[in-house]
Amino acid sequence: MENRPLEYDYTVAKWFMWSTIILGIVGMTIGVFIAFELAFPSLNLVLGDGLAEYTNFSRLRPLHTDAVAFGFTVSGIFATWYYVGQRVLKVSMAESKFLMTLGKAHFILYILGVTAAVITLFMGYTSSKEYAEFEWPVDIAIVIVWVMWGMSIFGLIGIRREKSLYISVWYYIATFLGVAMLYLFNNMEIPTYFASGGHGDIMHSVSAYAGSNDALVQWWYGHNAVAFVFTVPIIAMIYYFLPKESGQAIYSYKLSLLSFWGLMFVYLWAGGHHLLFSTVPDWIQTMGSVFSIVLILPSWGSAINMLLTLKGEWQQVASSPLIKFLLLASTFYMFSTLEGPVQAVKSVNAIAHFTDWIPGHVHDGTLGWVGFMIIASLFHMAPRIFKRELYSKSLMTAQFWIQTLGIVFYFTSMWVGGITQGMMWRSHDEYGNLAYSFMDTVAVLHPYMILRGIGGALFLIGVFMWAYNIYKTMSARPIEESELQSATPMGA
Amino acid sequence: MFHWLEKNPFLFSVGVFLVIAFAGVVTLIPSFAEASRPVIGTTPYSTLELAGRHVYIKNSCNACHSQLVRPFKSETDRYGDYSLSGEYAYDRPFLWGSKRTGPDLMRVGNYRTTEWHENHMMDPEALVPGSIMPGYKWMFTNLADIDTAYAEQITVTDFFGVPYNKPVPMKDGSTKTIFMGSTVDEARADALAEAKLVAADMKNQDVKDMVEKGQIPEIVAIIAYMNSLK
Amino acid sequence: MDIANIQGYAYVGAMGFLIVVLYAYIYHLYTKRKNADGTDYEEYSNMALHDDLSDAPVADRFDAKKK
Repeated sequence: MENRPLEYDYTVAKWFMWSTIILGIVGMTIGVFIAFELAFPSLNLVLGDGLAEYTNFSRLRPLHTDAVAFGFTVSGIFATWYYVGQRVLKVSMAESKFLMTLGKAHFILYILGVTAAVITLFMGYTSSKEYAEFEWPVDIAIVIVWVMWGMSIFGLIGIRREKSLYISVWYYIATFLGVAMLYLFNNMEIPTYFASGGHGDIMHSVSAYAGSNDALVQWWYGHNAVAFVFTVPIIAMIYYFLPKESGQAIYSYKLSLLSFWGLMFVYLWAGGHHLLFSTVPDWIQTMGSVFSIVLILPSWGSAINMLLTLKGEWQQVASSPLIKFLLLASTFYMFSTLEGPVQAVKSVNAIAHFTDWIPGHVHDGTLGWVGFMIIASLFHMAPRIFKRELYSKSLMTAQFWIQTLGIVFYFTSMWVGGITQGMMWRSHDEYGNLAYSFMDTVAVLHPYMILRGIGGALFLIGVFMWAYNIYKTMSARPIEESELQSATPMGA
Repeated sequence: MFHWLEKNPFLFSVGVFLVIAFAGVVTLIPSFAEASRPVIGTTPYSTLELAGRHVYIKNSCNACHSQLVRPFKSETDRYGDYSLSGEYAYDRPFLWGSKRTGPDLMRVGNYRTTEWHENHMMDPEALVPGSIMPGYKWMFTNLADIDTAYAEQITVTDFFGVPYNKPVPMKDGSTKTIFMGSTVDEARADALAEAKLVAADMKNQDVKDMVEKGQIPEIVAIIAYMNSLK
Repeated sequence: MDIANIQGYAYVGAMGFLIVVLYAYIYHLYTKRKNADGTDYEEYSNMALHDDLSDAPVADRFDAKKK
């Protein structure tokens, strides 16, 4: 065997990079489509009456949320882990045949799991619990995929050269543990086929919890799935990619550690804010409200730490579109972690709950923070994986502005629409009768639904530009290792 | 001590796990026994209603419709009495939803009829001008899955002691017994008998013919379910 | 004493304990400078900045064994 110097092996990272892009396109295309279905209901029949069952808003909605959460985002988490993990632990996957095989098997099983999830959701197999819709056989596949990822993490840690674990690795470990715990407890279900001695559909299961308890467990899960899929691993990414891309040390490493423990402790209490004024015990609702406010502290601890990392290097924001993405991601993180607690205040929640302001808030976070972070991470990784410069800087800049505009369209329309809707639902006329029928509130939302659809479409266009840019990077100008130290080299 | 923990991945992970599990232990466990007691007048779902509930879930009706009336005047005016925890005692899973693209359905059985649902599910816009709800025409031809509903009845009776075939107290002091077949044929017959009652109020001749032949389309099941929401 | 009481006391106790731990941790973070193993916390940032395989680790895990 020839005596080549040891290199990081990005095979698995590359595979997950492609699945991130493809599933991102799938999930967001469905998202844009169902957004327009709300504005123009005739789109529900776009493929005719015969296939209406499969193009219907209600059938596609879980597909959208699950494809972007468990497809796009989780792929992004895996892709960055298989890249960042090696680097900060200073160990190559090529050093262990076992880890290499495991990583590849992890990817293949993940793709099989995603395929099964998509097919079953299309067929209408759903447990109805948000972000946990999959029926039990798919749940089992997901658990196996997750355990394999855990083995990859701890396997790599086991053969590391760096003694201490970098803060990003902390966050990846927390992601692994958090999702494992949440997913297992929320998906406690009994397959009825086996429990009844062979009757009915083999796919069907019944939740182990009933009514208010089920709601409590579900939103403990739902809220913290947001924590451990849309927050924790994304912080892992920004703590690596922002310092690396800008060449600046983290402003305060100590603050990053404190924020870590703060976030871990506080986040899990806040699930009750999804159930304000419901039938779960009052003290849990109050606890959810209070801890949501407290949650601002550790969230902003991380976000401010990131912004200050650019201290003295602000010219990079102007010169590099990649830094723009990273900066705006942390800004949107600050924004949505302030908006969330505001919505969790009981009096605000009374108006906001059940309205479009809630999906508006979710998309601030998912488009602005999660989306931008994953887009930026892959932009940073692609030239290093292919050893070529990034195809086009101007394309990337254009993408940045188009997507930012898209997000602004999205959240402004959802804010105005949501609050209008909430206020109309609760207003009474001078005689104490309801002032508006439900249909009045549907009609008033029409323009906002169109604007939201346009916002989403702009973001999706940006995603296609991103995919194209990365695709073209594969055949761009080759570069030397030495050019890849910090700022990503980009072609015009 | 802290520094040592940070360099020991296993103990570090244990530490992280304890920190994140803490809140769950405190907030979830104590309320479990309390909340799952049914209120007087809440009955388990009949076989046909349960099959209808599965149709409701299959089509993610909960993506747009809530089943939770909050204790505000505007909500009780619009939807009826505010929800009580015990009313959900037999809801596995709960179907509160998180978004009202359409109105709440917690007590839809009080103010909508079989015929209204029948027309509405076929073409919502014809009945409610300006509605953005799509039609659900396939429910008029797809067959409801009675066997799975029966399997679920057996499961919840065995595992959670749901009182099928037992008298359940009602608000007026009487009792009501919800039947569960002892064999799958009995369950099918029971569901069909209930389906015939629903179909009698319907206008669609195809649906009536199917029920007459012993088939239960999804629409009959979901209407039975929605009529039970009171 | 019912379960709610026990919960209340346990909650207050746990909070007190966690506050002590939090401040002990902050104290630890800010006092740990060049002592025995010579690592300031801020140096850990270099794990991201100097992350090539050929770069020297901030703290080599196998240092002790090599010597």
